[in-house]
Amino acid sequence: MQAELDKVYQKARSEIEQAKNIPELLNLKSKYIGKKSLLNKLMKQISSLPKEERPEFGKKLNIAKNKIQELITIRENQIQEIQYKNELKSEAIDVTMPGRKRKIGNLHPITLVMQEIEDIFISMGFDVVEGPDIEDEFHNFDALNTPPDHPARNLSDTFYLDNDILLRTQTSTVQIRTMEKYQPPIKIISPGSCYRNENDATHSPMFHQVEALVVDEGINFVDLRDILNDFVKKMFGDRIQTRFRPHFFPFTEPSAEMDISCVKCFGKGCNLCKGTGWLEMGGAGMVDPNVFEMLKIDPEKYTGYAFGLGIDRIAMVKYNIPDMRMLFENDIRFLKQF
Amino acid sequence: MIISYNWLKEYLDIDVDPQELKDILTYAGIEVEAVDNIGKNLDQIKVGLIKDKIKHPNADKLSICHVDTGQETVQVICGAPNCATDQKIAFAGIGTKLQDMKIKKVKLRGVESFGMICSEKELGISENHDGILELPEDAPVGENLSSYLKLKDTCYDVEITPNRPDLLGMIGVARDLAAIRNKKIILPKIELSTSKDKIQNFLTLENFAPKKCTRYTARLIKNVTIKDSPIWLQKRLLAVGLHPINNVVDVTNFVMLEFGHPLHAFDLANIQDKKIVVRMAKENEKFPALDDETYSLTTEDLVIADAERPIALAGIIGGKNSLITKETKDIVIEAANFLYSNIRKTGNRLKISTDSSYRFERDIADDTADIVSRRAAQLILKTAGGELLEGKLDSYPAPQTPKKVKLRQSRIKKVLTIDLSQRQIAAYLEGLGLKLISQKDDEQIFQIPSFRKDLTREIDLIEEIIRLFGYNNVDTHLRSQKIMDRKRFYLRRKLKRIMVENGFSEIRNWSFGDPADLQKMEIQAEDERWKLAKLKNPLGDSFSVMRSTLIPDLLKNARFNFNHGQKDIKTFELNKAYTRDKEQKLATEKFHLSALLSGNSRPIYWKETNQKIDFYEVKGIVEEIISLFPLQDLKYLQSTENYFQQGQAATIQWQKKKIGELGKIDRKIAGKFDLEQDVFILDLDLEKLFSALKTEVHNFQPIPKYPPVLRDLSFIISKKYEFLKIKKEIASVNKTIKKIVLFDEYQGENIDLDKRSLSFSITFSSDTKTLTDEYINKIIKLIIDRLRSKFDIEMR
Repeated sequence: MQAELDKVYQKARSEIEQAKNIPELLNLKSKYIGKKSLLNKLMKQISSLPKEERPEFGKKLNIAKNKIQELITIRENQIQEIQYKNELKSEAIDVTMPGRKRKIGNLHPITLVMQEIEDIFISMGFDVVEGPDIEDEFHNFDALNTPPDHPARNLSDTFYLDNDILLRTQTSTVQIRTMEKYQPPIKIISPGSCYRNENDATHSPMFHQVEALVVDEGINFVDLRDILNDFVKKMFGDRIQTRFRPHFFPFTEPSAEMDISCVKCFGKGCNLCKGTGWLEMGGAGMVDPNVFEMLKIDPEKYTGYAFGLGIDRIAMVKYNIPDMRMLFENDIRFLKQF
Repeated sequence: MIISYNWLKEYLDIDVDPQELKDILTYAGIEVEAVDNIGKNLDQIKVGLIKDKIKHPNADKLSICHVDTGQETVQVICGAPNCATDQKIAFAGIGTKLQDMKIKKVKLRGVESFGMICSEKELGISENHDGILELPEDAPVGENLSSYLKLKDTCYDVEITPNRPDLLGMIGVARDLAAIRNKKIILPKIELSTSKDKIQNFLTLENFAPKKCTRYTARLIKNVTIKDSPIWLQKRLLAVGLHPINNVVDVTNFVMLEFGHPLHAFDLANIQDKKIVVRMAKENEKFPALDDETYSLTTEDLVIADAERPIALAGIIGGKNSLITKETKDIVIEAANFLYSNIRKTGNRLKISTDSSYRFERDIADDTADIVSRRAAQLILKTAGGELLEGKLDSYPAPQTPKKVKLRQSRIKKVLTIDLSQRQIAAYLEGLGLKLISQKDDEQIFQIPSFRKDLTREIDLIEEIIRLFGYNNVDTHLRSQKIMDRKRFYLRRKLKRIMVENGFSEIRNWSFGDPADLQKMEIQAEDERWKLAKLKNPLGDSFSVMRSTLIPDLLKNARFNFNHGQKDIKTFELNKAYTRDKEQKLATEKFHLSALLSGNSRPIYWKETNQKIDFYEVKGIVEEIISLFPLQDLKYLQSTENYFQQGQAATIQWQKKKIGELGKIDRKIAGKFDLEQDVFILDLDLEKLFSALKTEVHNFQPIPKYPPVLRDLSFIISKKYEFLKIKKEIASVNKTIKKIVLFDEYQGENIDLDKRSLSFSITFSSDTKTLTDEYINKIIKLIIDRLRSKFDIEMR
């Protein structure tokens, strides 16, 4: 009987190891260790053995049964693993095919630059204020210390709607409107569209400016220079240098123009800066006491500074756009680059 | 910690009411987290007089009393053993609310009772319930008990910051208040008379841990009588949330709450060999504590022991083996100080936190030990009698010399901006117990009291100055004005972002316009957009006005891009449109959001077929934008503009005003702009939208607790009924209908020409229960019935 048990076990083992699927395995399970199995048959024959051999053989039978159960479990896991791998294989895809794109649009480069400038100044405590494009001469000229016969009125060609109604030539108009409404402290920037009657590769009849005005006790020229330096470094990076040149604006005294070192060649001289190493950024100065007086702000108590930056110009410098007209052509192939 | 208004008044002439005091405490850095008005519910209790008392005929323990309430005489049944004729008592009449009960007329064993004579416990003024409260003979009958006994009090639950252990007692708080209110603090006067016997003859002290026990004092009182504390004492403890136990323990607690320095009392009879030993515990030494736990100690734990065993875990909890009982005759008062870090370590390890350990672990002063010991002796003699032995046992291994800190007037100005004279500075700081030692130009030197270990540097003193001066009393230097219209500014940015997220490219055009464009669009003569702002010196005819609409530029720009091979276009412009009336000086400048869509809705993708842009795609974007604004009853009406294709365009109306429009550009008009493919436009008047944004409340909606149920519903319906009408009808059937989504429209085979099939997915949910299938079926049936009767639908 021992020999028979060995034979059954060996056979069971080889059949189980070769089983190909779960149903086959279940059949083998009932064949070898089920109720009507070969092992059970041997179990029933145990009574034919001599009494003293019975416990020993019974033990062996049990061990064989457990081993077969173990082999079945091992094989079952193997078959499941194979089946799972086959499933994965059938689900495999070509991962080089293109993904589904969510087409996101884009802001206009002028908007991008404008928002960046606004955010820098907002973070420095400025309020953003806006005003009308269609203005009167008072806010555009008179209040800015430019009386009717002043030569500065010829400096720019102005679009007129009526005799004294015009398209603003600068957003300084908003500064006047703010000072009419509020006493200092004032700390604002005013971004917006401005208009001058000229049209070529470097001049557009409509352009964008951001002007700043700070009025309070103790505001001085160093504050002005510092804030512009700070702004330039935040906008263009720490490598950029600035310089101030004396200039003339009717509403500031002293007046200056600010240059930044060329963002392309960093001052060595290139086509962008026309070999000078410098790019003109905007005008600045201390608010002329006359302007304060006109707006009933005490020029002895308060001082202030103002400056203006050309947004389109900054966008052109920042993105290396050669022709201002591209900004208003709205070619989708151009816009999608931002 | 809890602070009592009445209790504070013992140390300070408080000239503000409890409400105002709350704010003063908070502004001084003692944040009041809750206020409790004690005795508010005792308003109806009166002083009464028992005029006569007879035994209840049917109950041995009850008496029938007649009580004079000052207004009338009422019959009351009382069960207290100490109720007697001619006694003044606390009377609660019918209708009085007392703690959890309301006094009603009752019949007790056949005799009516019209009120209650109260015990101290019933009144909530002590734990005593042995009998009724007996009032002094001179108590005025009819007076409110709460005003007679001064029961009313206001208690503040305050947060004491960890740097200020001195505020863990009423006197500490009173000192801060005195400094703020410029008052003098009144400390209790302590005068003690002692017997001739010396304490040294009865008790010895040894301190083996001078680093961890920095001070230990003991006083001995003989022949005390342990009993309940008097009402004044119980009242104080109850007000701040402590339970009275007996006169001696209550006094130690009272003095701890008064000075913030904990004490302990031992029964001398249980101190073996009459010897107090301060030492480290032995490894695994067992200590049975007052909380009925036995703790296993280590050599890190400091104990107070007698000759044999620990009788207290130093500074944390007393021992069960030496506690004060009714039989106690002779008591030892311990007032000591321990190294705070060690108290914390032991407390954390054994997970014990007591009023005592809470204070010791915050590093309190050594030298208040003797003061609180004397104060406790005084009050025990007063409440428990006995005699105090002469002298004290005192181990004070290393008395601290007071610290000195330099303070510059100029520094105060620099940090706080306030200008104070040296006299003012000294006044503030002396109020806090600091002593001015010397002063010269711009420099004062102060000696710091022992209980303010947190003051070690100049900046610490500056903090005290501003705390007393008042954080909110310093002048503002704010240099900002609200000039900016943040709401509109950021909304415009948000709208641009939404357009970009939806795949649009922003374009920017010159503000100039060409009147010929308005003609091409066949804009009606009375339209606002004809009120043009004309330029006197324009660049040319096609730039002769300021544009009154952004649409022509969008169309021209589309043509430009079509011509350059770009056929799928989504562009938008957010900019001003200008109109000007003849009588207007300047002009009207209104922001518009205008957009153009043409071609395929999405880039070509291999998994799906291309879809052309249609009306509903544009409408989806409009709906997304509109959802930012609280616009109720928004209407989409068929547009009558000539430039839109009739039947494929809508005017958006809100409060009977047009706020925008969307639709397909009419093919003939498109032809005039040389556009060879279908183009859709949306145009929103942002000024009108912004004006709807008056209130910017965005209340969060609670997440539903119960799961939603989804059901689909398909039916055939006449085309004459508009979708919105059908949807509204469904929504009105039941309030569990939370969402109605159209997921299919079908016309064609098997359906009459004038009909269409609509399929809805309906979401049901309830805030109060899980909806059963049965319930949903009922609602679905209601919906079908309603649609049948209203729209004559046919189920699919």
